[in-house]
Amino acid sequence: METKPLQGGERSDPFAEVNAPEFLARLLAGGRESQRTFGWLVKVTHDRFLAFARRSLSSLEESREVVQEMYLAVHKGLPKFEGKSKLTTWMYSLLHHKICDCIAEKERSREEMVESHEAQLSTETNVDSWQPLTAWDAPADRVLVRASLETKISEAVSALPVAAREVYHLRDVEGLSGDEAAEALGLSSANVRVQLHRARRLIVEHVQESLRSDVIPGKATR
Amino acid sequence: MSLFYALYYPCDKVRDFAYDYLEGKLGLLTGFRFKRHLRGCEECQEYIKLYRMAADPSKFTFENPLPSEFLDHTLQFLKERGVVGDG
Ligand SMILES: [Zn+2]
Repeated sequence: METKPLQGGERSDPFAEVNAPEFLARLLAGGRESQRTFGWLVKVTHDRFLAFARRSLSSLEESREVVQEMYLAVHKGLPKFEGKSKLTTWMYSLLHHKICDCIAEKERSREEMVESHEAQLSTETNVDSWQPLTAWDAPADRVLVRASLETKISEAVSALPVAAREVYHLRDVEGLSGDEAAEALGLSSANVRVQLHRARRLIVEHVQESLRSDVIPGKATR
Repeated sequence: MSLFYALYYPCDKVRDFAYDYLEGKLGLLTGFRFKRHLRGCEECQEYIKLYRMAADPSKFTFENPLPSEFLDHTLQFLKERGVVGDG
C-alpha cells in the first residue's frame, strides 16, 4: 500500500492508509518529513473528526477547537503511541476526552452563571454560521419523501443522548468495529452494543413519532 | 396485529431482537419465532425496516461538505505550533 502523502486527487480509504505501520514510521521520522506527513494526516482526517465532534457539541466553533486540541495531543503523544490500536482509534479516543472536557467545562460555567443560562444558549446557537447537522436534508428539488425520512433520521440522531450518539456515530456512521468503538470511548464492548441498540431504537421511535404527527390532519408538517 | 402471533413473541421482544437479527445472530428457534411474528405484524415490519435504515445511514445520508476554511484554520493553527510545515 502506498502511504506517502498524496498530492490530492484520488483517495481510496485514507483511514486505512494512516493506519498502516509505514505511515506511523513516517510520522515519527522527525523533521520536515514528519511535518509533511502530519499535514497530510490532518487533511485526510479533519472533516471526519470534526463531524464526530459536531455530534456531541452544539457549536461548530467548539467542535473545531476540540479537534485542533486533539491534533496537538496526537502530536505530543505520538512518541509514546505504541501502535497497539489503530492510529485513528487512538485519535477518536483523544478526541472523545477533549469533547468530555469541553462538555464538563460548559457544565461548570453553566452552573456558575445559572441566571444567564438562556442568554448563553442563544449565543451558542448564533456562533454557528454553518448549517446545523439537521440540515442534512436535501435541497427542495430532491425526492421529497426520501428527503423527509432522511431529515427525520438526522434530527433523531441529533436528539440522542450524548453517549448513544457517540457510539452510533462511530459504529454506524464511521463503521468502527464494536471493539474499536469501545476502545475509543473507554467503554466495554457490551456497553457499546447496548448503547448502539438504544440509539437505533430511539431513532426509530423518534422517526415514527414524527411520521405519525405528519399524518394527523390539521397538524403542521415539516 | 393478530392475537395468534401476539401469543408467541410480543412486539417489544421482537424489537429487542432487532440488533441480533441484523447481525445474523438469532438462534434457530428465536429466528423462527421472530420471523413468524414479523410475517403477521405490520407494525414490527415497519419498525424493523426503520431500524435497518438507522443502522446503515451511509445508504441514505449525505453530509454537507464542510467549508474548506475550517481545515485551513486548523492547518494554520498547527503550523503556528510547528506541528505541520508549509506544504
Ligand atoms: Zn409486532
